[in-house]
Parts: sequence; structure tokens; C-alpha cells
Amino acid sequence: MLKTTLRAGVAAATLFTAGTALADVTVYSAGPAALIENLAAGFTRETGIKVDYFQATTGKVMARIEAEAANPVVDVLISASWDTATDFAERGWLLSYDSPNAATVPDFLKTDTAVAQGVSALAIAWNPASGAPKPAEWADLAKPEYKDLVTLPDPAQSGATFELVAALSGTQGWGLFDELAANGAIVAGANAEALNPVLQGAKAAVFGAVDYISFNGKAKGESIEVIFPESGTVIAPRPVMILNWSKNQDDARKFVDYILSDEGQAMVAATNLMPARSDIAADRPLIADLKILPVDGQTARAEVLETFGKTFAR
Amino acid sequence: MARARAEVSPSVIIAAGGLILVVAVPFLFILLQAIFPELGRGSFAAPFSMLAGALGDARLVGMTANTLALGALVVALSALVAVPLAVLRALFRVPGAVAWDLLFLVPFMIPPYIATLGWIMTLQPRGYLAQVLGFDLAAFLFSVPGIVFVMTLNTFPVVYFAVSRTMETVGSRYADVARVFGASPARAFWRITLPLSAPGLGASLLLVFAMAIEEYGTPAALGRRAGFEVLVTAIDLRVSDWPIDLPGAAILSLVLVVLSFGAFLLQRWILARRSYQTTTGKPQDSTRRELGRWRLPVMGLFASVAVVATGLPLLAILLTALSRTISGGMARSNLGLSNFAAILGDTGGALRALGTSLSLGLSAAAVTGILGALSAYAVVKSRVRGRGLLDVLTILPNALPGIVVAVGLILAWNQPWLPVTPYNTVLILLLAYCCILLPQPVRYSTAAFHQIGDNLEAAARVFGAGPLTAFLRILLPLIMPSLLASMLLVFAVATRELVASVVVAPVGVSTISTYIWRQFEQGSIGLGMAMAFITILITTALPLIVLSLMGRRGSLL
Repeated sequence: MLKTTLRAGVAAATLFTAGTALADVTVYSAGPAALIENLAAGFTRETGIKVDYFQATTGKVMARIEAEAANPVVDVLISASWDTATDFAERGWLLSYDSPNAATVPDFLKTDTAVAQGVSALAIAWNPASGAPKPAEWADLAKPEYKDLVTLPDPAQSGATFELVAALSGTQGWGLFDELAANGAIVAGANAEALNPVLQGAKAAVFGAVDYISFNGKAKGESIEVIFPESGTVIAPRPVMILNWSKNQDDARKFVDYILSDEGQAMVAATNLMPARSDIAADRPLIADLKILPVDGQTARAEVLETFGKTFAR
Repeated sequence: MARARAEVSPSVIIAAGGLILVVAVPFLFILLQAIFPELGRGSFAAPFSMLAGALGDARLVGMTANTLALGALVVALSALVAVPLAVLRALFRVPGAVAWDLLFLVPFMIPPYIATLGWIMTLQPRGYLAQVLGFDLAAFLFSVPGIVFVMTLNTFPVVYFAVSRTMETVGSRYADVARVFGASPARAFWRITLPLSAPGLGASLLLVFAMAIEEYGTPAALGRRAGFEVLVTAIDLRVSDWPIDLPGAAILSLVLVVLSFGAFLLQRWILARRSYQTTTGKPQDSTRRELGRWRLPVMGLFASVAVVATGLPLLAILLTALSRTISGGMARSNLGLSNFAAILGDTGGALRALGTSLSLGLSAAAVTGILGALSAYAVVKSRVRGRGLLDVLTILPNALPGIVVAVGLILAWNQPWLPVTPYNTVLILLLAYCCILLPQPVRYSTAAFHQIGDNLEAAARVFGAGPLTAFLRILLPLIMPSLLASMLLVFAVATRELVASVVVAPVGVSTISTYIWRQFEQGSIGLGMAMAFITILITTALPLIVLSLMGRRGSLL
């Protein structure tokens, strides 16, 4: 019996190994899952080059790259946080590439080694059925009408929320966050965990929701509205990078070209992200429609997170 | 002693080899990572440089205390709920016994992160409870008692099945002897039956403790608002927050391993003080007593546990899966089968994810079952030198958080000099599941072996059976009920394992859990819940079908 089992095990092992031959281009991507799925399929259709992708949150993607450092396999990395691009460039892990398709990508959305795939902005996501009045400004959510009705994504888990917290605390101090905490706002995991209670109506609004998830929810018929405060918000460009250890650099470049092609950017727009190229239409407010708060690239991450943690600790 | 060393049984050799591959290798790399921060880049520079920082963290004491408290509370509440049910089930004729077993199996099949989300959507303001009855229990849910409550509902079946099956094996014969010598029924139970069932109780409580201190989803979703931080949430933050701190995560995991190992030593110390051999080859009388006038109260007890542990979470999951939008609530116009249709229409590769996870679950159950039985045999019944070390290996993964096992596996199997590697194939998931879940079959089999008299194997050997034949023909069938139960648990958990899968899944492969998690991340909660519901149905039904096909009377149910 044991022998049979062992033999079956070996057979299964061979089968598994044969089933997953490495692709031509290996992409690690932070969400949205449907976007990377469509991009990979479209690219293969157009070029015949096979793409395999691993999709997770930015944090989990980074953990995997860190653990694989001895023998890295990723060719192209799409992160949800521009910090990744800055940090990887400083470590000298990135390949310089200026895609011909990036000509209409604004300069602040590209560097020598990274270019944005798309851009999300942070907003207030408000449930009109919640009974709370429609907010217009970040500060509104600290008012008594929103007592115990506000959630914030955890800036330690959401890179975009971190940018917002850093920008708001940098321009106007921590007063607003003190008021929010005093008003019973709660910090609830990553973006989806913050939005879920608002959808059901347990809470009325998310302070710092990633806009495209809420737009998608609205498109599905959820009772949710996305509000960009006039005082300003932050954007979170999602950088695409080619790793310098890639053994498939030509194919990797072609994949970056494809992301920035008309077809690729249309797929980005279809997920309700802002396309990186300024000449692609999208059915949502674009960067030019928003007031963008200045972000100090030198913000000490650990300090901001610690002050934030203390503010919302009970 | 000399006799034993002369002929090391092949089963012991297989056990040792398997344990080294499945447990020792990843653990070694976690240990190395804790010592050498640059290990991921293949460098042994700056050894021990991270240790002081990670262990000197001022919050470590608080997190460790929280972790221990959570583990102890979940163990206590699980015992409180499960032991009375198990005793009644084993010793009395409870009407509909098989149906109750099935109903108590389901809560274990509900992935903890799903159950937690279900409870949140039920108990939070404007949740399902408030939509039906007009009040909410958010204050209770988002508190330490709330966390313990949700986690207990997931873990109590482990204790229920272990204790009821062990007590059934012990039977009433020994208690009857006590009665003959004048003991009252209560005294016979407390002094004879319950103590003899201690191996099953101890093993299951140890598993519950390990599950509780290792569980990530529930404390992360509920504990944050209560300001309740445990080691696993801190470990996950170190692995997910840039810059990634793998050495810090490895060091904190070792703290968890020490906690779990402490619990293991405590359990072993308690069990080592006497003999629990009750399966001696003499015929067993397994008649159950009548409940008499206690029939209705007992039925009420079983029913209320089933409603809370099985009915409500399943209902919440089903409702969410049927909802077109979350904000639409329970209005009839908002309910429909579109999410289920999307799953069956293979949206986002749903069917492939199901297939992958189910085959991985079956493989993991088979591998850990065989390896677990052999390891337990080597530890309990053989006299091989170094069997203590084998026992240590079987307990190590007990408290290793899934995410750390994943990191250890990547570090171990992604070395550039390896000619072949399971990394980036589905096999790496199988290795991860086997490592995380091996303790279950080992603990169950160990408990079962403790109850088998040595004379049975000796008798087989006297009549000319080789060691392997004696193992396969005598011992294995005797531990089969316990072993099968544990393999079922492995199947259920492997099919839904999330934390390790998210990190270690090969490119282009989704499992059920990563699929559900992706749907949640994108705000498609209903689609994720539909997948979860289908999974719960399959993971509950499949083992039942297998068991009934095998035609083993009462082996599990």
C-alpha cells in the first residue's frame, strides 16, 4: 500500500511540475485582479508571448520578492504605491526604460525606471442610504452628525491612505485626526474592510477611500457616492517597473508598451482607474478635475504611522 | 532495547524522512532567517543583529500576554461547549445523533475569515440582525469576548469529535466495573470514563490552543477596534508593510512556537503520568444509555448550539451570496442567484480555483494521514532512539503562522543551486499545507496509539507477522477512526487555507481562498460569499460521501 501511495505521489508530482512551465514574462501585480487578467490575455493575443502573473496586495507582493531575493523570478512589477518605485530605484533593482507609448504620460507620472499604469485618487465614500447628510469636506466627517459613523483604511495597510494622512497632517497638522478619533471614527483594515461597513450602512462614510473600488461598487448598483473634497486630496499612481535581473527584458519591455497602448489604457479606464496617458478618455473625474495636495516625498513613514496609531488608540 | 535497534521498522524511516522534508527544512530556514537578516539575498552577514530589536519591542510582552489569554479563553470556552455535548453523544442514545454530528461538522468547514465576516454583517448596526429584529450587537462582537465567541464556534467541533470518539472507544465497560464495586454513576464517570478519555481531550485542546494563537483573520478583523493586538497580527504587519521585515516576523514566530511548545509539554506531562490503554483486544460492549426524562433538555442543548454555530453563520453567508448589492439589504428585489451563476460561469477562473483547492486538499489529507500515522507510531510504539526528536518535529508547525511557513518554504526552495524545486509549482502549496496541518493527524493518531495495548502488536509478531504487516493489519485499522477524523480536518483546512496560499501560490494559480480574498479586495463581497458557500457544501459533503462509500460503521459519523 505504501509503495502504491509513493508511486502515486511521484506521478502526481511529475504532473504538477509539468503543468506549470515558466512563462515568457512573469508579472507580479497589486490589484485589481481583473485588470492584470485582461492585460495578460490581451498581450498574449496580440504578441503570442505568454504572461504568468501573481496578484496580491502590494505588501504581499513585496514579501514574496523579498523572500525570493536569492533567486528572483519576477520580470515586471506593478505596485499600488509609488514608494515602491522610489525605493527599488534607490536599491538599483530597476531597469531604465522609456516606452514609446509613454509620450503622453505626464512627467510627474514617470521616471527613468518607472511609469504609471493608472492612477487612483482618495475620496470620501458616502452611503446616501445611511441617513447621515452628504459630506463635502474631510473636516465634515469630524462633525457630530457623523459620530461613530466614519471608517478609515489603516495607513499601515493601504499605501494610498498613508499618502493622504501624510499630506493632510503635513499641511494642517494632526488636529483633524484628533477630532475624528474623538468623534468615534474607527480604523478598519485595508480598503475593502473600511468600505464594507459603509455599504451595509453600519457606518456612513469612509475617510480616504480608494476611488475606483467605490466607483465599481456604484456601477454594480451599490448605494455609494464618491466625493472629492475641494480642499484637495492625494493621488496614488500605480508604477510599472522592469526588474534588472529579468532574463526576459525584451518581452518585459513589450509588456510595458502594451500596458501603455490604446488597448491597455482602455482596460485601465474600464476598471475606473484614471489612465496614465492624458489622451485616453475615461468616464470619471481625472487629475485635472481634482485639487492635488502637495506630498512631501521625505515624510518619515514610521513617525507618521506612530502618531496615527497613538491618535486612534483607545 | 537491543532488539529494537537491530530492526528499525521501515515505517519509522519513512516517518523520519517525511518529517525532515515537510517540517524540518522550512523550519530550519525560518530559524536561519531569524538569525541572519540577509538570508534572503543568500548572505550570512550580521548574525543575531535583529534579535535585540524584535525581542526588545516594548509591545511584545503585551502582545504575548494577549495571545496567551486568547488561546486560553478559546480552549476554555471550546471545552465548556464541546465536552458536555460529546459526553452525551458518546454515552447516551441521543435522538438524531448522526444529524447532530453533521451539523457540528459544518462550523469547522466554515473558513474563520468567512465566519467572521458573516458575523460582522449580521451583528453590526444595520446588519442582518438589525434588519430582522431591530437591534445590533456590535459592542459585543468587536470586543475580546466577541473574538473568543467567534473563534470558539470554529474550534469546538475539534473537541467534540475527539472526545466523543475517544469516550466511545473507552466505552462503558470500565465504568460498569466501577459500578459493580459500588461507585455511583457520577463517580464512575468522573473517576473512570472521563480520565480514560484524557488523551483525546488533551490532544484536541492542544490543537484548539494552537489554532487560536495561530489564527489571523478573526483577531485582525475584530481585534483592531478593541485595541487587542496579538502576535500573529504583528507578524503579518511585518511581512506586509514595506520595508518588509522578514527577520522580525521569523523571530516573533519563534515566540509563538515556544508558546505552543509549552502547551505541548504541559499536555504530555499530564498524559505521561498514567496508562490509557483501553483497547486490549477484549470485546467491547458499546451499548448507550437512555436519556429518559432528560431527552428534551438535551435536544434543546444540541439544537441551540447548532443554531448559533451552524445555522446563523450559514444563513449570513447565504444571504450575502444572494444579495445583488450589500447596500440593498434583505429586500426581496435585491436577492437573486446572479453570484452563484457567476461562479458556475467560471468568472475569474472560479471553477479552476475550486478544482485546484479540492485536489490539494485531498492530497494534503492523504500525505499528512500517512505521515501522521507513521510518525505517531514511531513516537508511541517504537523504541527507536531519537523518537523524542521526531515528536518535537511533529509539534513544531503547530504554532507557526501560515505566512511564516510560506516565507520559510520560499527561502528553502528558491535557492539558485537546486537542480529541481517544487517552488513555483502547485507542489509548494502541498508542502505548505502538509507542514501547517501535519500536527492534526499526528496528535489524533498519538492519542489513539496511547489507548492500544502493546500486547496486540506483540501477538501479531508472535504469529509471524513482520513489523509492516503488524502495523498495516493490526494497528492501522485500530487507529483508523481517529486518523480518518483528522484527515477530514486536514482536508477542510487545506481546502480553505488563506494566509500561506496568498504568498506562496505559484504564478497563475488561484486557490479557493485566494479567489475569495480577491473578490473581497475588489468589493465583490457577494461573489466571494457565493464561492465560500459552495466550498462549505463541497467540503462537508465530500468526506461524508467517501466515508459512506467505505461503509465503515460509525468511523466518523
